[in-house]
Amino acid sequence: MKLMKLEIVTPDGVIFNDEVKQVTLPGSEGEFGVLADHAALVSLLDTGVIVIDTTDNKEISVAVDSGYVKVDEEKTLCVVDGAVALSGDDSSLAAAIEEAKELLDKSKNSATAIAAAKSKVESIGKRY
Amino acid sequence: MANLKEIKRKISSVKNTQKTTRAMKLVSSAKLKRAEEVAKRSKVYAAKLTELLNEIAQKMQQNNTDGIDNVFFKENQNPKNVDVVFVTADKGLCGGFNFQTIKRTNKVLAELRNSGANIRLNGIGKKGIAYYNYNGVAMKTMIDDLSSAPDYKRAKEFIDGLTEDYVEGRTDKIILIYNGYVNMITQEINQQQLLPVDTASLDLNSVSLSELEVEPDEDDTLMNALVKKYLEYSMYYALLNSLAAEHSARMQAMDAATSNAKEMVKKLSVKYNKARQEAITTELIEIISGMESMK
Repeated sequence: MKLMKLEIVTPDGVIFNDEVKQVTLPGSEGEFGVLADHAALVSLLDTGVIVIDTTDNKEISVAVDSGYVKVDEEKTLCVVDGAVALSGDDSSLAAAIEEAKELLDKSKNSATAIAAAKSKVESIGKRY
Repeated sequence: MANLKEIKRKISSVKNTQKTTRAMKLVSSAKLKRAEEVAKRSKVYAAKLTELLNEIAQKMQQNNTDGIDNVFFKENQNPKNVDVVFVTADKGLCGGFNFQTIKRTNKVLAELRNSGANIRLNGIGKKGIAYYNYNGVAMKTMIDDLSSAPDYKRAKEFIDGLTEDYVEGRTDKIILIYNGYVNMITQEINQQQLLPVDTASLDLNSVSLSELEVEPDEDDTLMNALVKKYLEYSMYYALLNSLAAEHSARMQAMDAATSNAKEMVKKLSVKYNKARQEAITTELIEIISGMESMK
């Protein structure tokens, strides 16, 4: 499977920069997935959860505050206001989930978007 | 003959000053490390944001051959009302750091005045504000304690106000002036035209994009959101950058002061020793001549 580069940048620096298989993004017009060789695209991102399919068949979820995404054939670039990665073992995951919820609460987006994102974050917590 | 006691007192006073300046230098270098780190991380974000803006602007230019049709990009050849924003430090004792910013601001103000524009001066940082207050220059906004502790929310509030004035046509241009960080020993004055977005500074012909889909595509929703973000972040980044520069300037100034003090102590010590020697010699002469006369 062809891989593409994904970069997630926040005001605190680059939090993710690696090759991935697929990424699902919370666009302002609806959620959409991006594979390698996607047509060039720029979109607003809503408050929500970015799901990354890594090369070793793992899923990483990243809760994000609103931002922007630019997709071109070989690279996807997300510029977001704030992000919390939901990964790690039980204890650090629980902390990350709390942190993510806090981040989402602070976001200025519509209540429905926040609620949807929060329930997603919670479901990730239950999965493990 | 210089008074021995007086010289001794001077030496100890200079030594005390040296202690203070050395401590200030250490404090600044610790603070600089932190400020530099923050500024560096933000730089990536600022660069990516500019890159995004760049590409969308390109797309808009391709669609409209006669330039970009957006309020944020309309260059006004003859600006009537101009907002000038300067960022200085809240504290002094950092060499020419603040004065360089003030000097450049004065230059910009003079140029604008000559072209007949109305200027609204916005000050961030106590030192610059104090200067313009003293010189009787009216200021629209005066913000204290922001340049020494950059806060995204306050920066956003401030620049949003200016942006609103611009959108509603009360101003035609926003210029930002601050002293930025280059490396440990160099600062550089930055003068940036925030609005209208300076298309010259955006590299519009870097890559020719075939098709760039924009979502949401109605109106200029995305463009407007992006430009606003760009402005807010430019403002915030200017503050971070200025803080790092301030600390590096202070570190340098205090380093120079410490070595000057060291030099002075050395000179005074020589003087003190000379004076002491002189006193001893005089005393000896007195004793000997006394003895001679008793013979």
